[in-house]
Amino acid sequence: MSLGRSGATRRQLLTATGAVGAAAGLGMPFIRPAEAAGPIRIGVLLAKTGSIAGQAQYLWYGTQLAAAERGNKINGRPIELVWYDEPSTQGAQQNFHKLVQEEKVVAVLGGTLSSYALAEEAAAQQLKIPYCCDNAAATEMTGKNCNRYTFRLNTPVNVQADMFAPFLMGYGKKWYFLTASYAFGQDIAKSFKALLKAAGGTIVGDDTVPLNTADYSAYILKIRAAKPDVVLGGLAGDLGTCLKQWNDMGMKGKIPFAEIAIGDSDIWGVGPQAATGLYTSLWWYKNPANTEAEKKMAAEHEKKYGKPAADKSWMGWLSARSLFESIEAAKSTKPMAIVEALEHWKDKETGVSYRGFDHQLLLPNLVVRVKPKITDKWDYFDVIATVPKNKADLAKVYGTEAEVGCHFPPV
Amino acid sequence: MLSLLLSQLANGLVLGGLYVLIAIGLSIIFGLLGIVNFAHGTFFALGAYFGVSLYGHFGWPAVLLSPVLVGLLGMAVERLLIHHLYDKEPLISLIVTFALALLIEALTRVIWGGLGQPFNAPPFLSGIFLWGPVLVTRYRFAVFASTVVLLILLWAFLQFTPYGRILRAGSRDPEMVGLLGIRLPRVLTAVFGLGCAIAAIAGVLAAPLWTVDPTMSEGAIMPAFVIVTIGGLGSFPGAVIAGLAVGEVIAMTIQFAPAASGAIMYVFMALVLLLRPRGLLGERWERFE
Repeated sequence: MSLGRSGATRRQLLTATGAVGAAAGLGMPFIRPAEAAGPIRIGVLLAKTGSIAGQAQYLWYGTQLAAAERGNKINGRPIELVWYDEPSTQGAQQNFHKLVQEEKVVAVLGGTLSSYALAEEAAAQQLKIPYCCDNAAATEMTGKNCNRYTFRLNTPVNVQADMFAPFLMGYGKKWYFLTASYAFGQDIAKSFKALLKAAGGTIVGDDTVPLNTADYSAYILKIRAAKPDVVLGGLAGDLGTCLKQWNDMGMKGKIPFAEIAIGDSDIWGVGPQAATGLYTSLWWYKNPANTEAEKKMAAEHEKKYGKPAADKSWMGWLSARSLFESIEAAKSTKPMAIVEALEHWKDKETGVSYRGFDHQLLLPNLVVRVKPKITDKWDYFDVIATVPKNKADLAKVYGTEAEVGCHFPPV
Repeated sequence: MLSLLLSQLANGLVLGGLYVLIAIGLSIIFGLLGIVNFAHGTFFALGAYFGVSLYGHFGWPAVLLSPVLVGLLGMAVERLLIHHLYDKEPLISLIVTFALALLIEALTRVIWGGLGQPFNAPPFLSGIFLWGPVLVTRYRFAVFASTVVLLILLWAFLQFTPYGRILRAGSRDPEMVGLLGIRLPRVLTAVFGLGCAIAAIAGVLAAPLWTVDPTMSEGAIMPAFVIVTIGGLGSFPGAVIAGLAVGEVIAMTIQFAPAASGAIMYVFMALVLLLRPRGLLGERWERFE
């Protein structure tokens, strides 16, 4: 007996219906509720293009290592990382929405640049999805723009400035500012200028540099003529070009060049001949003070990717670790359960945790200096200090609730 | 102050020299092929990347091979892709070469990775010298000298050799050149390769000064277009004058109004075009009217 004009039999119809039902159950997990026992999908938003993509690659390595060290599972369920690009501020925000609405992720990691991260933070609040930012350092992220769904690893620009400035004052108080004309560069200039002014220092030059400047020679000639004690940079992606030309114009070793929130890979790309300067960093793979878990991660990194772990690898790793361990502790993938678990998360070895009132991870910083002579392709830095010296002072240097100005909007 | 200004002037001249080298290949390709090559910056970057890799494997002399390899690659691209654009509207060539630029940048990222490649000037060219009150670095001086020599050789080639005459005639009236029995398609392939090779020379020379990463091309392509436009599309001497002028304008802007240095070349271009819509030495070419 045939059914309809296609000539299909009842048996064929029943078989087809059964097949569709099976496919819906097995091959279309998106129609199952997120709490089911399938993989836990976690979104990753890191730049795949542009000058920041190099740093993003290391953040991704660290994220993968954090998943691998726990056998790619949380509470027996496989972890599935879904990596989307951050092509622009608007693109980053759109991709956050796609990850949540189309890919059904339970949380998002990422935020390569401050401008992207600020947009993603707003999306996290709007969509009510936990967001762990692993790289951006803009002060307002955990300040006036904060929200309960956002957790940030990197130290804010103003706090890095507070930690670093006393070291730089030791070289003298006549400073020259060379900062990029975008949010991050201007954040650096504003923070350090206030500290220099308070210390009675002098600004002998202050140049705002357009992004993607290819030639720094004219700026360097001005610096040379101004004879400052310190050059305070805020160039981010253009740092490598500036340092190469700094060396070409015979300035290496003459005036200290300092900057905060750079990546190891920025200096590796400059090469041993031209690399120079004083920087803040959160982690250095050869720091003797690294914990056992960090050493293990660094060894795995070298084994898997054929190069040492960069600071960004560590940042991707720790941020992902905090999220994975919190999902495990929550025994749930519901957003508020994860948020609450992140609020109670504490690193087992170092004891660091996200602060309750702004969700800022309280981490000490390293002051690193490029070695006078570099003999190893990767070993560029000497760690000259950990700041603050006492861990007990961490909460103080990160600022009080009133100083930070974070007020979570209603969830 | 006078010493600083003189140093800035000298520095602007050297910067302009590098810009001329980046722009001249673009100018030649447009002048002879009528193609607006948006991928020119990626051939510049490939020159730097090939230079870094050749140096890493074979040492300094091998770096000289980089422009040759990029030139051959350019010829292959012309045969496979550009060749089909000659009878199309200019907008099509713009879109296709823009897509080509994105493709080459993505391939660069796959092959060499997204990070900067360390590369510095050879030790014998490092250091500075003071010429009266003017500070010049040895490497930048060498870049400028190389640019001058290359431009003279290129000018002599175009002006005095039979091949140069064919190229110049072909740019004005390709049909007539074909009727004279000259196989123009081969000439055009060679010209595209030559333009790419010159971009690669600029890339090799810039590599010790710029960050060699996949976005390197972006820093080159816009100044190149601005210089070619200011000089007059397809004009060899126009590109030279415009390149040096842009270098000086940027250096002086950094001295007196650094925040405007990124926009100043566009302002300069707008002013020149207001006064001379075909650029400084641009002529009326029937092909492009």
